[in-house]
Amino acid sequence: MTSFHEILLRSKEGPLVEEKEFDMSLFKKTQELQKKYDLHYDPEKPLDLDGTMADRLFQAGVELYLDQGTYCSTTHRVIRVSEEELFDAIEACPEEIELGEGDDRVRMVHRNVEGDQEPIVVAGIQTAPFSDEEMMFKIYEGCAGDRCIDGIWGGILLKIDGKYEVVAGAPSEIYQYRKTVEVLRKAVAAAGRPGMITINNAPTCSATIAMFDEQRGLRRSDYMESTGMSEMKVAYDDLNRSAFALAHGVPIHGTHSSVIGGFSGNPEGAAITAVAASLGLVTVHRAICFRCGTVDARIKSRVTRKQLWVAGTAIQALSRSTRLIVDGTIGDHPAAGPGTKQYLYESAAGHIVSTVMGAHSTEGTRKFVVGNTCNYGTPLESRWMGEVCKTAVGLDRRAADRIVRYLLDKYENSLNNAPAGETYEKLYDMKTNAPLPHYQKLYDEVRKELKNQGLPLS
Amino acid sequence: MSRSQENEQLLADLKKAILKYAEDQAEKITQKIIEVKIDPLQVMNQTIAEAARELGDKFESGEIFLPHLVMAGDVMERVSELLESTLDAGSIEQMGVKTIVIGTVQSDVHSIGKDIVAMLLKANGFKILDLGVDVPCEDFVRQAKAQAADVIALSSLLTTTMPFQREVIQILEATEERGSYKVLVGGGPVTGGWAEEIRADGYGKDAVEAVDAAKRLTGLRPDGA
Repeated sequence: MTSFHEILLRSKEGPLVEEKEFDMSLFKKTQELQKKYDLHYDPEKPLDLDGTMADRLFQAGVELYLDQGTYCSTTHRVIRVSEEELFDAIEACPEEIELGEGDDRVRMVHRNVEGDQEPIVVAGIQTAPFSDEEMMFKIYEGCAGDRCIDGIWGGILLKIDGKYEVVAGAPSEIYQYRKTVEVLRKAVAAAGRPGMITINNAPTCSATIAMFDEQRGLRRSDYMESTGMSEMKVAYDDLNRSAFALAHGVPIHGTHSSVIGGFSGNPEGAAITAVAASLGLVTVHRAICFRCGTVDARIKSRVTRKQLWVAGTAIQALSRSTRLIVDGTIGDHPAAGPGTKQYLYESAAGHIVSTVMGAHSTEGTRKFVVGNTCNYGTPLESRWMGEVCKTAVGLDRRAADRIVRYLLDKYENSLNNAPAGETYEKLYDMKTNAPLPHYQKLYDEVRKELKNQGLPLS
Repeated sequence: MSRSQENEQLLADLKKAILKYAEDQAEKITQKIIEVKIDPLQVMNQTIAEAARELGDKFESGEIFLPHLVMAGDVMERVSELLESTLDAGSIEQMGVKTIVIGTVQSDVHSIGKDIVAMLLKANGFKILDLGVDVPCEDFVRQAKAQAADVIALSSLLTTTMPFQREVIQILEATEERGSYKVLVGGGPVTGGWAEEIRADGYGKDAVEAVDAAKRLTGLRPDGA
């Protein structure tokens, strides 16, 4: 397998290319490849049900990656690998890894399409701001208490000592992210799950590294996030994270989002890029599990009809053609906020597609960020993510398709004017850390609705 | 065909060429427009503005994508250069082309949202200097000065990088240059309330709003007229 240092060398000595040239070349190639491989998005078919197009999509993704490579935005060089090097890298990835410790340790394995392998669920309100330690502790303790989830993504305490601002790249970022992860570890321990997977990712590499501490912070049994920039790019700050993780023995989780309406163009192009970029996460970032995602340049939700098709087909392509460990998490970042039925509908649609198409869901729950609104989520959304992912195991694509169509009907026309929802304070009893009756009732109603639609909830 | 009809046809052809991203064709038509002495201001404020509006609508509806905005922006930039080459400095000033320095703030590498805003602004006739991502605060100010920019546009996608939007404004205040530039802010976590709090001049919730805000800040009407 091509070494990490060889990849770094190529990031310094590969072809020097203007970023605009790389971007426009991506567009041209994705448009060519969708014709060559006969890839078609049909809005009437939000899920690819037979997998034959997914197989062609994998071939298109391989061809795109070999041709286009990964653009290093730090050096303006293109990192390319040969076909042999690419398949060596894929082959070198484990089919299963273990995350967490002790009784809370879990096996994260390659999942098949419609597979019965258990999806690993890392919930928690990912990267969101919290008002204070007490509130963060309470919310994460509540999330960790749910046995249907396997791990928690951390957020950030908005102010130091309730007063001082946290700024990316400044000492305050290192201090506060470190502080945050300590609270997270205490919260999972208080919930009786001290070995549970805990994840967090700061804006800069130095603050992310500062969170690693076997006793009080992130451990080798958690994972390190190494993010690919949209689309098909990497910066040294991300490769620094990979370098640390490789040296420190931490599994690397890569993540990338292709952009519908961006340089990938249409949904077909975004699907090809989603596959190609995933291959880049494996070869360049050295990820052994990765999120194969997509966003829409125009809509703040990850579960539009187009996105479900793009991410679902790309996950299916990687699941069918490789033994890689794929993360989907399509259901995070709904347009609607916590405490609304629409949030639960959007979240369910994404997580059903992730699970049935062969992925795990390890990127937390969160509405798209809105200013500095703190405590914008509750443990109940984490429970929903866990319940949906775990019970969607065993559904076949046709059953998933029926439920997803039902859900799309519920939220599709409300994505641009989605309800903002409420913060924890308005949805939970602060003393008991339990949902207020109106929120529990809403949750139970949606749960019953989905059960009636065929999601095998208990 | 009368002279007036011929001119109208030329302007219609130019718009069509822009919407087809046909740079060579647009260049030829512009040369012809210059030869027949159609007022460059009319070309800029009507033909190009109409094309920009259509492009914005098509992007919003999902009919075209970011690369199309890039291509159209290049065509319009070339057309503007040709038109400007026929004018003296005073007339160029009269054309009212406004310059915007744009970038994603320090420690933040999110680029797509900023790219879309930059391309839509360019397609709407603004001269754009895109500084990229992870741009130090001082660079925004330095480049704005160097370009004699009208607007500094600051994108931030993280709550922990939003303070850099304020820092750019603080630098402008400290150097007594605040009055020289309008500051426009945007990005996922950014709100109108935050823009107000940091004393920014404008805020765009999305790319279309950002373009409208830029037009308002530079004295152009939101419809581009």
